[in-house]
Amino acid sequence: MITLTPLNRREAVRYLGGAGVQMNAEMERLMDVCEAQLRGAAQPKVVWKRIDLPCEELTAGEDIVRHLSGCTQAVLLGATLGAAVDRLIRVAQIRDMAQAVVLDSMASVAVEQVCTQADALLARQFPDMYMTFRFSPGYGDYPISLQADFLRLLDAPRKIGLTATEHYLLTPAKSVTAIAGLSRQPIEKQRRGCAVCSLRNTCQYRKNGEHCGF
Amino acid sequence: MGTMIQKSGAGYRHSPETLNLSRPELITSFHRAYIEAGADIVYANTFGANAYKLAGSGFSTERIIRAAIQNAKKACEGTDALVALDIGPVGMLTEPAGAMRFEEAYDYFKEQILAGDEADLIVLETMTDLYELKAAVLAAKENSDKPVLATMTFERGGRTFTGVSPAAAALTLTGLGVDALGVNCSLGPDELEPVVAEMTRCTDLPLIIKANAGLPDPNTNEYNILPQRFAQCVEALLPYGVRFVGGCCGTTPAYIAELKRVLEGKAYQPCPKTVGTAVCSASAVVEINEPRIIGERINPTGKKLFKQALADNNIDYILTQALSQASGGAELLDVNVGHPEIDEKKMMVRVLKAIQSVCDLPLQIDSTKPDVLEAGLRAYNGKPIVNSVNGEEKSLATVLPLVKKYGASVVGLTLDENGIPKTAEGRFEIAKKIVARAEALGIDRRDVYIDCLTLTVSAEQDACRETLRALHRVKTELGCKTCLGVSNISFGLPNRELVNSTFLTMALEEGLDLPIINPNIDAMTGAVRAYRVLAGIDKNSSEFISSYNDAAPVVKPRQASFSLEDAVRGGLKNEGAQATEQLLADTDPMEIVNSRLIPALDKVGEDFEKGKIFLPQLIQSANTAQVCFDVIKKHLSAAGDNRVSKGKIILATVKGDIHDIGKNIVKVLLDNYGYTVVDLGRDVEPQLIVDTAIEQNITMIGLSALMTTTLKSMEDTIRLVRSTPALQNPDGSSRCVVFVGGAVLTEDYAMKIGADYYCRDAKESVDAAKRVLG
Repeated sequence: MITLTPLNRREAVRYLGGAGVQMNAEMERLMDVCEAQLRGAAQPKVVWKRIDLPCEELTAGEDIVRHLSGCTQAVLLGATLGAAVDRLIRVAQIRDMAQAVVLDSMASVAVEQVCTQADALLARQFPDMYMTFRFSPGYGDYPISLQADFLRLLDAPRKIGLTATEHYLLTPAKSVTAIAGLSRQPIEKQRRGCAVCSLRNTCQYRKNGEHCGF
Repeated sequence: MGTMIQKSGAGYRHSPETLNLSRPELITSFHRAYIEAGADIVYANTFGANAYKLAGSGFSTERIIRAAIQNAKKACEGTDALVALDIGPVGMLTEPAGAMRFEEAYDYFKEQILAGDEADLIVLETMTDLYELKAAVLAAKENSDKPVLATMTFERGGRTFTGVSPAAAALTLTGLGVDALGVNCSLGPDELEPVVAEMTRCTDLPLIIKANAGLPDPNTNEYNILPQRFAQCVEALLPYGVRFVGGCCGTTPAYIAELKRVLEGKAYQPCPKTVGTAVCSASAVVEINEPRIIGERINPTGKKLFKQALADNNIDYILTQALSQASGGAELLDVNVGHPEIDEKKMMVRVLKAIQSVCDLPLQIDSTKPDVLEAGLRAYNGKPIVNSVNGEEKSLATVLPLVKKYGASVVGLTLDENGIPKTAEGRFEIAKKIVARAEALGIDRRDVYIDCLTLTVSAEQDACRETLRALHRVKTELGCKTCLGVSNISFGLPNRELVNSTFLTMALEEGLDLPIINPNIDAMTGAVRAYRVLAGIDKNSSEFISSYNDAAPVVKPRQASFSLEDAVRGGLKNEGAQATEQLLADTDPMEIVNSRLIPALDKVGEDFEKGKIFLPQLIQSANTAQVCFDVIKKHLSAAGDNRVSKGKIILATVKGDIHDIGKNIVKVLLDNYGYTVVDLGRDVEPQLIVDTAIEQNITMIGLSALMTTTLKSMEDTIRLVRSTPALQNPDGSSRCVVFVGGAVLTEDYAMKIGADYYCRDAKESVDAAKRVLG
């Protein structure tokens, strides 16, 4: 059972493209309203499954091989805020678009928080293993088409109501799938960040001299 | 089956259904084990055998299902056991939560049902989305005559993942004509009592319980309820009208054997429903057991702006109407989109789907055309009301069969070939006839809501009495619920609101159940609320008190100390409207637009670009500008002047992409700069964009795509726009200007796929529009 705790507003502001903007009272008020709505609607759910490596089905490209090198097992993770959050954002787009964009960015923060909570949960499950950071379809050269396989292996539609469209968009939208490697030996600290990101040439954050947080 | 496959450790490639072909004898042995344990029905190993899930397996739905049914039949040889074609969810969410269209879901299921024609019955199970389940039921009913059993999966908290309530499932499935309904998977049988109890209140059909063996341990995958306790818990649920029992995740033949033992000799006890009549969306049920307000505002009759919205495909306008009526106190909404300039059938489907994506009130599908009603009934998620049938033979013969097939309630108008009878007796006779005809088709009279018709009192003063007398007789003698459009009564009189609310109160006292009114007029909604208190319906006046107790204190309009510019900058809508009104007294409207409003918005846009304000603040300013525009538009259209639109622009999120918030932000800004946006929505076919451009003679097109996977659709769309002769100049060059945006796009890529403008954000879209349209 995962429950949301207060959301990181600096992150939300960054997703809104306003990292450099001076915070003001009006934005704080708007965020208060949105956070209350969001936490009321969200029904965070996670599902995970341990698999043995190598896993042929989930191997594609070089980045995942590098990411899981030295690991004998891995954990697949699926996380979602649930369908009600999508609906909340949809309704806000009709009633008040300003709220909708704030809800949208705060929901992104929220699903990241759910993943972080899941990390802690997994660490407790596997106390004698070291775990890499989460790697998702769409990172680096890891194909987004693997969403379908992640969901199938996790039985995610049945267990947490998480599915994908034919174009591999996760539905509900505020959801994540990921894989993290498990090893009995300490894992060399891997590099996250722009260097391994497939969007490094087109990223708006990067152009503005910012960073998305990955 | 799944449990047995897992326990056996049988290896399979891709999906467990492939075992039907690779290990037929194994599958047959599992079935055999269940039959020996006492099962009367075995579910063939076909749960996920649909074209979507099998893609990449190398096998077709047809091949797997035929083999699966044979494997099950073989196990049944020499016994009375029946084989069920087992159908689970497709694996994608339907619109609006996902991208799968209702019609696509139908096609997946139809293929399975045709392939399973050798089964004895059809089972639809583990469904979490009522809309998808409706597609499956229709596919089953329309492509076979086998019995259909339907079960959904509920979470702790009593709802499915998509928010479906057990009552809504029961009402909808009963209406659609399944043979039994219930719950499978979900939780252990010890936790299912609330779900089963809620279902049985809303249906007379036998119930199905096929629970899990409790909860699995995430590490060992062992379930925590053992056969004996499992069977005891199921037994305790029998009085709810349970007729079919079984096991889902974690249950083995031992569970079935124990069930069989405990239930031996126990007869099915039907459990009559306690809810007389109710309608629902997927998530909200409204029981018609007290006066319920039907909102009348979604109807173009006599509404210029509404007609314009229909002509422009402006669905957001209609959604705004839906949400504001819901806030005003409506409990159901009437939906009428009849307008000579549009395809009513298409529009009805589109509007119903759109409203249901943002509003969970049950809807009343309102049209004079049976084909529009049928399209609406198919597309609707839940149990709706049909508005309407009347006493004419043609109407009875065409509308009532639709009501029956799709399991709706229906409004019956007391008029026929000879018009509206003058007397109450004449209308009562027609009501009787409608009820008799409905019952002959198997429609419960409690699902027929009789409308005794309101006539204009200023034209025929006695007519009011006749309407009320007819209403009283229908209510007391026929036992039907009643419905009445109220506002007509006061036509031609001053102070209509007073007449309307007085008439409404009189009608409520005569037994009116469903007043069709404007819920945003407080005198009307208030009359219903007050009536509920005075008639002893609203216990302790609690609803009344909560409606009015915390009503916002009346704020005196502020003195207009705000300039138009200040109002726009601060996102202050009322102040903006006021400042605009004041300016209009002595300034040319277009002068206000061009010299005050747009520059004010530009200034805010600049601040946004420079990182001085946040995106939501830009949007709030834009929305304030919208209010100012509306004031100006009203002023101009009163003077018959239509100058204010600066040109039309098509916006669409491309085929395959369902993330449309970016496109919607662009729309807000373009709207507020005075452009007329034709918003085609999300997941839009290239051809629709081209057709719209041709039909409405639009030369500026904005496309959005969020994902790398859908950029291809953007490219395809642009190519189609460029290559369509009707959108070319005589020299073959393109007449259209295409601007594009989206998270993964770059300027280079935009140019490569043939766009004219790459817009990094909403503000740049406005810049592009200015350059092209001025």
